[in-house]
Amino acid sequence: MKYQSQKVAYVFFATCMLLLGLQIVYGFIMGFAHMGFDALHNIIPFNAARATHNNLLVAWLLMGFMGAAYYIVPEEADRELVSIKWAYVQWASFVVVAVTAVIGFHFNWWEGRKFLEIPRPLDYLVVVNVLLFIYLIGTTIWKGKRYTTTSIVLFFGLLMAALLYLPGMIPTENQTMDSYWRWWVVHLWVEGVWELIMGGILSYLLIKLTGVDREIIEKWLYIIVGFTFLSGILGTGHHYYYIGTPRYWLMIGGIFSALEPLAFLGMAIYAIGMARKGGRNHPNKNALSWTIGCAVISFVGAGFLGFAHTLPQVNMYTHGTLVTAMHGHMAFWGAYAMLILAIISYSLPIMTGRNTMNGVASGFAFWTSNIGMIAMTLAFAVSGIAQVYLERKMGMDFLTVQKEIQVHFFGLVLAAALFTLGIGVYIYAFIKSGIPTKELGTNPDYH
Amino acid sequence: MLSKSAARTFFLVGTFVCFFAFILLTLDTVRRVPKQTNADQITDSVKLGKKLWEDNNCMGCHTLYGEGAYYAPELTKVYSRRGDAFIRAMLTDPESMYPGERKMVQYHFTDEELDALVNFFKYTDGVDLNGFPPEPDLNTNTVVDESGEVAAIGTRPKVFNQMCLACHALQGQGGAIGPSLDGVGSRMERKDIYNWLKDPISVKKDSMMPKLPLSDEDLTELSTFLSLVKE
Ligand code: HEC
Ligand code: HEM
Ligand SMILES: [Fe+2]
Repeated sequence: MKYQSQKVAYVFFATCMLLLGLQIVYGFIMGFAHMGFDALHNIIPFNAARATHNNLLVAWLLMGFMGAAYYIVPEEADRELVSIKWAYVQWASFVVVAVTAVIGFHFNWWEGRKFLEIPRPLDYLVVVNVLLFIYLIGTTIWKGKRYTTTSIVLFFGLLMAALLYLPGMIPTENQTMDSYWRWWVVHLWVEGVWELIMGGILSYLLIKLTGVDREIIEKWLYIIVGFTFLSGILGTGHHYYYIGTPRYWLMIGGIFSALEPLAFLGMAIYAIGMARKGGRNHPNKNALSWTIGCAVISFVGAGFLGFAHTLPQVNMYTHGTLVTAMHGHMAFWGAYAMLILAIISYSLPIMTGRNTMNGVASGFAFWTSNIGMIAMTLAFAVSGIAQVYLERKMGMDFLTVQKEIQVHFFGLVLAAALFTLGIGVYIYAFIKSGIPTKELGTNPDYH
Repeated sequence: MLSKSAARTFFLVGTFVCFFAFILLTLDTVRRVPKQTNADQITDSVKLGKKLWEDNNCMGCHTLYGEGAYYAPELTKVYSRRGDAFIRAMLTDPESMYPGERKMVQYHFTDEELDALVNFFKYTDGVDLNGFPPEPDLNTNTVVDESGEVAAIGTRPKVFNQMCLACHALQGQGGAIGPSLDGVGSRMERKDIYNWLKDPISVKKDSMMPKLPLSDEDLTELSTFLSLVKE
């Protein structure tokens, strides 16, 4: 670590750990409700648990991106962050908004629009907050001594993510247009600009961990994000098949979204290729596992499982069933959750001067959480496919089908317990690392 | 091999072309959606219905147009599937139609709000969703059995499909919450069926079956129909 201001990242990462823990708690509430144990229904009905679970996810991923940017940008730009104080203000205000939103959900204060449940007044605060963040990062890069492709891609990813939040606020009285604009945010985030952020962070990690030449890594970065947008922008059409929008979206969305896995495949081949090619034997093996794991699992979860239901003929039957949940879990985990766990694994030892993620604990957290998530995905897959056949193909009644598939939610909860164990060990190691030290670069091994 | 600046050009041109195409398609979609979605039928009451749908985050349990959560039934076609009275009953007392089953939130809507939600569902029912939700294509229940035409799908009273099939099955179609109704006409007289439907609790104290919002004509039609469903 070269600059004091990079340590700002620590509070963001610590918040990630807290919100991730809470997200898992709400996941269990829903898993049990699906099994018929809904004792909490009167305090936390399913829709409150659901909004909380999703928004905590989005909040901690955004926190992670911001923390990563505060860590990476000073180093790439070769100067301190323009203001450490304002970075902390930005962090604190983000936490306040997120906490207010989540508490509000429990009192029926929300907008019933999936993933964008945050009530309108808070939306404006989010915008102000993100503008402050963009300003801090942007001026640091601007005033810095060098512009690297990695920091530019990361910056534009973050800037566009902020801009794309706005279409979600376009007022409309038509349910169809409501959905239409909602996907501009949700889809163009996860299958567009967030992939830019992902590409930027992965490149940084690969440069550091493998020692491969920056020029080569950054060239591939352009090609991959090029594929992302080539397929992902018009791929938005896979959400416009059956919501009351014109029929031509079946064709356009089908063709372009079917190409989306290529970008993820590219990302996986790229990460593995660079790791092989790299001569550098970096001591932080754990960070490398998470980095490669991120690239591989995102291909499986987003690329492969996304493709599984993206063709309109298939989506006609799977749309609005648990098949979607199967894909959503593994895609978010692989592409974005693992990405943030990777950058934390890499940067934490450098910030605190201590590596608690070595040896048995690191392997345990990595493998247990991944095996747990794969098993969860399988449980969702089995229940989703059963639901498609019984409800959509045979015409059985919704609740009757839910009874048939209840047993798979028992499997889901077991798998989730395994997953939680892995995450628990990760969080434990995070806490054990302590807080950042005063001196710079106390642990030269981990640079 | 490709240079870094060529890679950058590929990225910039590709992104620009796709984004431009996406904007054009969006303009066209905005132009066509009103017709495809019967925008002229979006009355003030429907607007209020949409607002209530959002303010209460019904989408956190249900799906509409296939979007939302997977905890409760898809509601795009609920108006034709269950009908006005059934929807109102659910929104007034969620235990009324599926007692003891998975729970829905108890709401306290005014009459105007109830009308609005019903109108909202009536509106969504009519929107052209390019064929969604699909007809169950492995469904073989259209076979006519020995009881003759009566039990064939086309001749069932509408209210039977809307209310009764939510919990009971007939010829393998419907719910499994209550017992199957196959052959009920051989087990019960028309008059008993009539009394039972009118108020289940008065016949059997601990019955789980709710008192359904049925008119006198409904009761007559249903009891006649069921009394003909013989073994
Ligand atoms: C906590 C989850 C939850 C919320 C929130 C919720 N519902 Fe439901 N709803 C259910 C469940 C579960 C059912 C299935 C029947 C049952 O078991 O009660 C249902 C059934 C229904 C039905 C009957 C559907 C059918 O096919 O029989 C309608 C209509 C309905 N809900 C409308 C609404 C509306 C409108 C809202 C918002 C104001 C809403 N629900 C909010 C859980 C919920
Ligand atoms: C990291 C990238 C991705 C993430 C995080 C992600 C996440 C999600 C989530 C959470 C949903 C559910 C949305 C909802 O129901 O409201 C969803 C839906 C969907 N995703 Fe992805 N996804 C990713 C990539 C992809 C890719 C690459 C494809 C296609 C190849 C794809 C295809 C789909 C389809 C078709 C749906 C719609 C399901 C439906 O409503 O019928 N996804 N995605
Ligand atoms: Fe998508």
